[in-house]
Amino acid sequence: MRKLLKYMMLLMILIPFIVMLIWSVTSSWPWPHLLPRNFSLRGYFYAVHPTTKAFTILLRSILLSIIVTLITLTISIPAARAIAFYDFKGKSLVKVLILMPVIVPMLSVAMGIHLTFTKLGLANNYIGVILIHVVPGIPYGVKILLSIFELNGNKVEAQARVLGASSLQTFRYITLPLIMPGMVIAGSMIYIISFSQYFITFLIGGGRVVTYAMFLFPFVQSGDRTMASALSIIFILSIALVVYISEKSVGFFYQKSSKYYV
Amino acid sequence: MKYRATNFRRKLKPYIMLMPVMIFIIGIFITGLVFGLLQSLGYFPALGLYEISLDYYKNVLHNTDFLSSFKFSLYTSFVATLLSVVLGVLLSYLIIYTKSKRVKGLVNVYKGPILVPHTIAALLIFILFIQSGLLARIFYGLGIIKDMSDFPPLIFDGGGIGIILAYLWKGLPFITFITIDILRNLDEKYAKVAANLGASHIQVFRYVLLPQLFPTIASGFMILFAFSFGAYEIPHLLGASTPKALPVLAYIYYANIELANRANAMVINMCIAFFAFIALGLYVLAFRLLKKYGGA
Repeated sequence: MRKLLKYMMLLMILIPFIVMLIWSVTSSWPWPHLLPRNFSLRGYFYAVHPTTKAFTILLRSILLSIIVTLITLTISIPAARAIAFYDFKGKSLVKVLILMPVIVPMLSVAMGIHLTFTKLGLANNYIGVILIHVVPGIPYGVKILLSIFELNGNKVEAQARVLGASSLQTFRYITLPLIMPGMVIAGSMIYIISFSQYFITFLIGGGRVVTYAMFLFPFVQSGDRTMASALSIIFILSIALVVYISEKSVGFFYQKSSKYYV
Repeated sequence: MKYRATNFRRKLKPYIMLMPVMIFIIGIFITGLVFGLLQSLGYFPALGLYEISLDYYKNVLHNTDFLSSFKFSLYTSFVATLLSVVLGVLLSYLIIYTKSKRVKGLVNVYKGPILVPHTIAALLIFILFIQSGLLARIFYGLGIIKDMSDFPPLIFDGGGIGIILAYLWKGLPFITFITIDILRNLDEKYAKVAANLGASHIQVFRYVLLPQLFPTIASGFMILFAFSFGAYEIPHLLGASTPKALPVLAYIYYANIELANRANAMVINMCIAFFAFIALGLYVLAFRLLKKYGGA
């Protein structure tokens, strides 16, 4: 009985994916048939066809989110270290401030800052979009790296410094390999958050910066189920691919260097 | 602490390390909220308007569109979040207590929706629950309905069922995700002891697991509620033309050419942010409890 309930709930989560997968290769599925009449790859062809620009938008979007991820990770490392290893005045306030973008909607923030961004020349271009995308990723970057720092402590780093390593060497050969697993998890989270943003991209980018999430939106809105499904599946696959490649390449680069130290 | 100078440097160091993150948090996030607040009070220095007034608040708070939107957002967010929490905890409980050897991989299916954006969640709910959707076809096949118009309109409907379903599909797995490891640890530590001493399943859950799990559940509730209260995509894609969800209404005002409407939009934004801040306060409180009782 309990098992049945569990599988029913898991199926409820899974079934929508399967139905979307079927819709994505359907050319005709009229009411009230339970299965499609005809199949076609129209949606997928549309996505890779050069005239639709879908593929260019996808690649540009991936690049944008990678840049956002790198910036967010870079600024999150020192912040997480400060919280993990230092006691200072206002620490609990800092923690709450960093947590805030998880709970206070970015919609309100983006509308509030829009006028200022326009004045500073940051609206309707990539720089502005990158800057606003960094904000919602910060809580995840700092929180995940913080838990890694708290887990590892800073004894190994202190040892390296005592033995005469410079701070740069310590970072390159000790800290970075130690936190790499956390960096991959945090990076994946930040990447997904950035890649999925619709509203703030659309507001700050002013329609000039078109990400894949924005490209997909009107297809969902129009109710063209075949097109929207195919483009959504490409969306999900592209995320899976980027996350997979980053995991593998990080593993490859750090296998050698971490072998001696950890 | 040999020298005053190094001591000072050491004291300053964490602030320097926090600086880059704070530039974004204060420079964009907090500034955005503060400027939103100022604009909601009618303060637009760029346009030569320096006078601060509460007129826009009075306007908006008496507006019937706003009031019905407010009720609608509160209702859909609350119901979706409550269902997500109850069913999400139930699912993590079921996963832990019914271990099956054969299909271990299937259990990980629950993590899927966490990675899927809200736009796609809206599409999935649309495909399944629209009047020509799969569910309606199954009902037709079973002879429950005679025509697609007999199927209740769940999407684009004032009742907001489609919106609730989309948030539920996203939110339930999130709650399972944040509770499952804690539940697993608790199970090994206390639940088996309680069960050995003769407690029933329900007693174990009510008196052993729930109190320890409460701070995590509470913080999960706050995150989901605040998010769905202030997110644009799902109510825009699945909502009715009236009543509109608050974020959708805010953007419609914002995109209007008339300046007064921009201030009205900011009033709605402040209302969304106000509820989020209440949720944040409760979240921090829940976290204090977590530290005190050591749930995780």
